[in-house]
Amino acid sequence: MMLNKLNRNEILSMGDKFRIYVLLVVVFITMTIFAPHFFNAWNLTSIMKTVSMNATVAIGFTIILIVGQLDLSVGTIITFAAVIGLGLKGAVGYGLSVPLAIVAGGLIGLINGVLVAKVKINSFIVTLGMLTALQGAIYTITGGNTIAVTDHQAFAISDWLQHQIIPMVTPRVIITLVLVIGSSVFLRKTRIGRNFFMVGGNSQTAWLAGVDSDSYTIVAFVISGVMAAIGGILFAMESAAATLNLGTNSLMYVLSATIIGGTSMAGGKGGVFRSFIAIVTLTMLYNGIVLLGLGNEVQIFISGIILASVILYEAYVEFKHEKLVGQRPELLKELEAAQ
Amino acid sequence: MSDELVKKTDTRSVTQNKFKRIVNVAGIYGVVVLFVILGVVLQALGIINNFLTATNMLNIVDAVSMLGIVALGMAFITYSGHFADLSVPTTMALTGIVAVQMLQFGFFVAILSAVIVGIVIGLINAFAIGKLKVNPIIWTLALNYMTLGVIRVVWANKQIYPDMISSSEHATKLFDNIYRLRFFNKIALPMIMLLILVVFFHFLMSKTRYGIQLKMTGAALKAAKFSGINVEWMIGSAFVLSALTATLGGLTVTSLSRVGAWYNGAGYDFKAVTAIVIGGMTLAGGRGSIIGVLGGVLIIGLMNNLMTLLGVGTFSQDMIRGIIFIVVVGLNAKSLRSMGRDDA
Amino acid sequence: MKKTFSLLFVLVLALAFTGAVFANGGSEGSAESADSGNLEASLALDSAVAALTAADGQPLIKVSGTSRVVPARPADPEALSEDDPLHWWDMEFAGENSVKKNIPESPKDGAIGKKVIMIVHGDHPWTTACINGATKVADVYDMDFKALSPNWDLAVQNQMIDQAINEHPDLLLLIPLDAKTAPQQARKINQAGVPLIMFNTLPEAAAMDYCIAWTGPDDFGQFRKLSHLWADKLGKTGGVAYVQHAPGGSPYFARYWGPRSELAVYAPDIKVLDAQAPGFEADKTQQLVSDWLTRFGDELTGICAADDSAQALGITEALKKAGREDVVVIAAGNSKQGMDLVKEGKLFAITYQTAEGDGALAVKTAADWFNGVDLPPVRNLPQHMITADDVEDFYPPQW
Repeated sequence: MMLNKLNRNEILSMGDKFRIYVLLVVVFITMTIFAPHFFNAWNLTSIMKTVSMNATVAIGFTIILIVGQLDLSVGTIITFAAVIGLGLKGAVGYGLSVPLAIVAGGLIGLINGVLVAKVKINSFIVTLGMLTALQGAIYTITGGNTIAVTDHQAFAISDWLQHQIIPMVTPRVIITLVLVIGSSVFLRKTRIGRNFFMVGGNSQTAWLAGVDSDSYTIVAFVISGVMAAIGGILFAMESAAATLNLGTNSLMYVLSATIIGGTSMAGGKGGVFRSFIAIVTLTMLYNGIVLLGLGNEVQIFISGIILASVILYEAYVEFKHEKLVGQRPELLKELEAAQ
Repeated sequence: MSDELVKKTDTRSVTQNKFKRIVNVAGIYGVVVLFVILGVVLQALGIINNFLTATNMLNIVDAVSMLGIVALGMAFITYSGHFADLSVPTTMALTGIVAVQMLQFGFFVAILSAVIVGIVIGLINAFAIGKLKVNPIIWTLALNYMTLGVIRVVWANKQIYPDMISSSEHATKLFDNIYRLRFFNKIALPMIMLLILVVFFHFLMSKTRYGIQLKMTGAALKAAKFSGINVEWMIGSAFVLSALTATLGGLTVTSLSRVGAWYNGAGYDFKAVTAIVIGGMTLAGGRGSIIGVLGGVLIIGLMNNLMTLLGVGTFSQDMIRGIIFIVVVGLNAKSLRSMGRDDA
Repeated sequence: MKKTFSLLFVLVLALAFTGAVFANGGSEGSAESADSGNLEASLALDSAVAALTAADGQPLIKVSGTSRVVPARPADPEALSEDDPLHWWDMEFAGENSVKKNIPESPKDGAIGKKVIMIVHGDHPWTTACINGATKVADVYDMDFKALSPNWDLAVQNQMIDQAINEHPDLLLLIPLDAKTAPQQARKINQAGVPLIMFNTLPEAAAMDYCIAWTGPDDFGQFRKLSHLWADKLGKTGGVAYVQHAPGGSPYFARYWGPRSELAVYAPDIKVLDAQAPGFEADKTQQLVSDWLTRFGDELTGICAADDSAQALGITEALKKAGREDVVVIAAGNSKQGMDLVKEGKLFAITYQTAEGDGALAVKTAADWFNGVDLPPVRNLPQHMITADDVEDFYPPQW
């Protein structure tokens, strides 16, 4: 009896990890059956192209959640990097402006990280302030104008970034996949990667183990800034333009996807690959909704329901877990045997 | 051991000079006074004019009264250590559009329906966050989306106008006056609502048993639970209060824009959090006061006013606002820590 | 055990995805092409369309009666001062000197049963009305009509364009979200061989080379005319302030630099005091105008707003509070709140901009193209200023 129960819990926890894959399959199959024009090369490639930017940003965002912080400024970092990358192209060419954009993103992340880790202001507040300040800075630098590059080279690169190598795979998608898989391996396999989990999950243990929480927090913010910058600049290069609210919608998208993918707001738990799958799932879902002819209000409502269901489920799991805390299975077994 | 020796070796004592003490007692109003002084100086230098006039001061309070109403309610949530209520924007929109729709049955039915809807949303939040203990940020965000979807589906992506639905011209006038009613031609109804709420909520938060229990819930959740406080009720009540002020804010915004639409109230969630945090309430909970939140709201109004009088462009205004926000909060956190009062 | 399971899982997924390559690679084309007898039937429907009315009782299809006067393009508009009307030539007259590239030929077989996809810019009651108007016309021609909205997100609009191209419609109608990204979007659609008509928002001039035509309101022209009325009311003197649209889009330029550059020539004694973009919130605009009154006092005699609903409400509230209802306010219309304010005498004049007509004209232009009509590069909705004298004609409001 007790043995069965343990197995059931194990299965539940496995299911917890795999639920996002299950969700992906369910959405994919539903859309293939019901949504017209969904299951073909062009549409699936289009989905993957849309996934690219948010997936890149989600890498950094997941790491931030894992260390138990929040980064609300990712949306504006995306726009900022895009604006710098495209804006400076005229002066110094992509070869210099793209690395500059990525460095700029990292710098913003550094400022965020220092304010959170050293000055010890809550990350919600720091990144909220940074969001406002950066958006204002973007408007000021550009004077309110979208930045567009229209020279031949820009169009050539844009076309190259979005041409289909094999269905569903374009160069930008490849870059994203490399980053996702690389980060996922880094987080799971290397000691430094695993330390992120410890910093977020149990800061006392981290301190005892000699892991410097402050440095890891700062690094997490820098990574988030860099990833947001990469996502933004790649997207802008593909569109050959940077609008001033390029990344504004990304925050909610990436936040929802990361939570749905199983990363916890409390820190210490999560995965980059799962966030990636979550973004693919959500994009597929929204794409299918549009193909089905349903309006945006349906999409908004469904994203709310999915998010709510996910955290309700997590609260349930937490509740169950709390019940187990303090229980000693061996003693319980002894008790049962005695009866 | 002699007293003097004890004092010298007592490493717990914290050195504060008089200045730090003043800053800490004054709290956020120190910054308010600072901004006012800045304005006076600029006026004296002739860079700006008419700053220190009654009209200008009233304008400032008027401009932030709606934000203040919403922030005061949300402050209870922050006080209880549960960050913020991100479902405020659509709560405002929903209560507003419900009120307009119900105007066909008269003004009082409309207001009553809006309040009921607000309470329902508050109770939903209270149940999920208080009882089921889900993360408040994500839950209220999810509810925000769901409510938005509901509004847009039920009203078919359209907006409705009070005077076209209303049962009588009198009802429309009353609804219009929620925002526009002025006493002595100077003091608007939202301002009066704000002042009443400030008095009532300050009393509620600092002088009643409820307030003190809420403070403990925010400061030390487990201790509160074990000392017999019904923590779930406490947290839940904070969310209901926030929903109620959101209702009030929603009615006011809808009255101002003369239209019931799904986009009324957009942006009020982050604006309210900004005001609350500037006002000295920390996101960890258990610290701050309603008077502080009022101060935070006033600072936002002062900043906007000064910048417009100086002719600062809208874009630069955003940038400056963000920087000042971080600076004020950082200074507050630093001063708390230097006083030995733990983390923020 | 777990690892192999997950590896297998990912493999299965990958296989499923590659299976998409071989499955249904192409996509359905449009409905079977209609026979030539369709053309006469289609032309016959034109009169039915002309008889349609919008919700406000005005005729649905209105094309500007007199073609507008287009001045010669200066050699280098960018070099001119911003206060010079000709500085804005490329934006205002985009399309007038475009060189059409690779435009598909009209099949000239009538508009009946054609597959038309419309992609708007975002969700708003205005767009709901616009799609309404478009649907009215599409129904007359029995078109296979679909409207998509990206809710103000450029990435989503790009994806929708991809999706639309995928469905091989007979024609695509597009409101570009952003003037500068429009050329890329138009190029992509053009390369896919899909006929394109852009409408409502002016794109950058380069985009015009790739589309059949552009339809929509002549924002610049309307505001230039409106500014004349305004200046006359102000006695061609005084100080004015501008409440701007969201920066970057064509309305931002048309509703601020349009009147400003026009007045620099028509009424140079009018001083520009300030211009701010508070967004479309009434309370923010109210605070802005209150502060303006504090700052400028009696010097401020006129305000021009990019929006006649939320912004205009904020402005008029501030003016009433300060007892300065002598300030002359104009705005871009036409929302119900704006028309109410005109009726109450608080707004001096607003521009008439039919939402339903905008969408309807786009579809009608598409139908004309199917009918083989020779289209001008730019087709404008008519210009009209609504004042207290004729505001009653525009009720009930379209949205």
